[in-house]
Amino acid sequence: MSGGVLLWIGECGELDRELVGGKAFSLNRMRQLKLPVPPAFVLTTEVCRRFHANGGRLDDDVVEAVRQAVAMLEERTERVFGGADRPLLVSVRSGAARSMPGMMDTVLNLGLNPRVERALREQTGDRRYPADTHARFVDQFARVTGSPPPEEPWDQLMAAVAAVFGSWNSARARAYRSHHGIDESGGTAVTIQAMVFGNLDARSGTGVLFTRNPLSGDSEPYGEWLPGGQGEDVVSGRFDPLPLERLATALPEVHAELLAAAATLETDRRDVQDIEFTVEAGKLWLLQCRPAKRSPYAAVRLASALVKDGIVTVEQALGLVSPEQIAAVCRPRIAPEARHRATVLARGEPACPGASSGHVALDVDAAMDLADSGGDVVLVRRTTEPHDVAGMIASVAIVTEVGGSTSHAAVVSRELGIPCVVGCGAGTVAELAGREVTVDGSTGEIFDGRLEMASCSEAEIPELAELARWARERSDPLESVPDGHPGHR
Amino acid sequence: MTELPLLRAMRLKGRLSAEAAASYAGSSVPDAQAGLEELVGLGHAARAGDFVSLTAQGRERLAALLADERRSLDVAALDTGYEEFDRFNTELKRIVTDWQLRDGQPNDHADRAYDTVIVERLLDLHDRFSPLLARFAALARRLSPYRDRFGRAAESVRAGDHSYIARPIIDSYHTVWFELHEDLIGLLGRTRAAEAAAGRAV
Repeated sequence: MSGGVLLWIGECGELDRELVGGKAFSLNRMRQLKLPVPPAFVLTTEVCRRFHANGGRLDDDVVEAVRQAVAMLEERTERVFGGADRPLLVSVRSGAARSMPGMMDTVLNLGLNPRVERALREQTGDRRYPADTHARFVDQFARVTGSPPPEEPWDQLMAAVAAVFGSWNSARARAYRSHHGIDESGGTAVTIQAMVFGNLDARSGTGVLFTRNPLSGDSEPYGEWLPGGQGEDVVSGRFDPLPLERLATALPEVHAELLAAAATLETDRRDVQDIEFTVEAGKLWLLQCRPAKRSPYAAVRLASALVKDGIVTVEQALGLVSPEQIAAVCRPRIAPEARHRATVLARGEPACPGASSGHVALDVDAAMDLADSGGDVVLVRRTTEPHDVAGMIASVAIVTEVGGSTSHAAVVSRELGIPCVVGCGAGTVAELAGREVTVDGSTGEIFDGRLEMASCSEAEIPELAELARWARERSDPLESVPDGHPGHR
Repeated sequence: MTELPLLRAMRLKGRLSAEAAASYAGSSVPDAQAGLEELVGLGHAARAGDFVSLTAQGRERLAALLADERRSLDVAALDTGYEEFDRFNTELKRIVTDWQLRDGQPNDHADRAYDTVIVERLLDLHDRFSPLLARFAALARRLSPYRDRFGRAAESVRAGDHSYIARPIIDSYHTVWFELHEDLIGLLGRTRAAEAAAGRAV
């Protein structure tokens, strides 16, 4: 078998990104750093080219190589593909350099069929999860391949792999590449990886970890942990996960290993990372790692901190902050002194940035009456419904008890550019009723009273002053930070 | 028989214009206007300028009509459809959020390639969602106008008017989606509070 067709992640040295795609490249790097990544192999873009040269068929030697590789996955995981006792499920992902419409990118939980669903139900004692997962798999599989999954896991795998390679040449993907001038001959790779189970037992779960706080910019790890959660549960925003500290209490060794891995990855990639992980029966697995999305304020503070910690050079730090982020940091915000003295009444998830103050209204009619009489309104709802929209438009800020960053209130507030905090928890409506409050949609805090606002200055954010000074010293000034007067763009 | 859709439209929109009523009920604007006048005459609705809204009496009337409607529905089939809808719902919310936010910051729409991918994702969802919507319309005829409303939103987006992705008040894809969701919850006799608590309707 030629080494250029099927490669094991973490066992072939440095991989060529063009040959294996971004996903496999990143997993491979994690394995090279001796981090725990579920076993995986990749079919290279070379296989994609041969597939298409062959009229849409996989070569026999490729099929045989995959067969042997799956047997190896079974051995390493001590699970059986299609087995009823310890079933092996895999993910199948495309690995083109960038996602594009028409390209099928992911099938999770491949290997499920009614028999395996029953087995999982017995193993996990969880009725809903196996049924949900199976339904999601059937759905994803049908979307990728255009037909329902066959019973046999091996047939599922062959169909999914062929569909992913085939999708490289879908009309939509071709039109997109031609429109954007992307090379036709590139092809996609396919990564096949063992799935791990965060819902297996009491010492299992799933979560995300940011190597530093992406909202405040504090240099402390920040994350969420969902005991018994599986796969998409945390990122889907459907469940309320626990703070990461709870993992430290429940599984201290796993927590320590996770933090060590986080530090390794941050140092290797020279930036703050966002890491998805799953714990299966007390064993840590890292599923994905990418540069963390962050608030503009955090971007400024983190760039400075990464220099202090010796992780990036000054030049690299300047590259981690965009002019847009500087501009956003310089928007009016709550005066630091006022914030310092203020009482936090509630906290939730920041959904739309900005800060404003007003009187709390608990329903649309109250909001509109108050707005009609010239008052500033903060609309506070358990969750928003369609008929709340008129009230939202009349408000200067929006707060909800339930919901995440993709919720209705969050979506509408961003369309309107109204500061919004969602998911503040039960009791928030009662707590805020009748008050005048200040909502900070950038940090997710709601303060008692009308707080003084300030526009930013380098004096108030020392890290901003530092970045500006570095930029000046390198006679390559950040466009948006003219001497002493940042942010007037 | 436009009484129920018109009352329902007032419940969903708060303050309802004749244009929005016509779109929701799938009727002409003059017909919707006439229907609304009738409801005002009956005391079910009150007029304020160009808008009408529900009165307490109208609210009761709506509740009674909805209860009648529910008795003739195939709730089991709707329930199955709702589970499928829930998966689309998660996907739609993700698409809209990706449209609005990039790297946690407001999308400045300067990167056309990024925006194109999201528009494609929305149109792709629309294609895949349409058969389910047709099933909903067959199960509850009152939902039929949603097919045109979604179709018009998708066409506007396809034609390059991106305000039809998520802008409130106008019949953007997200506006229509959210109203359909509310209607499904109502048809199934569920409450939004319970759905929100279950992570489905927030």
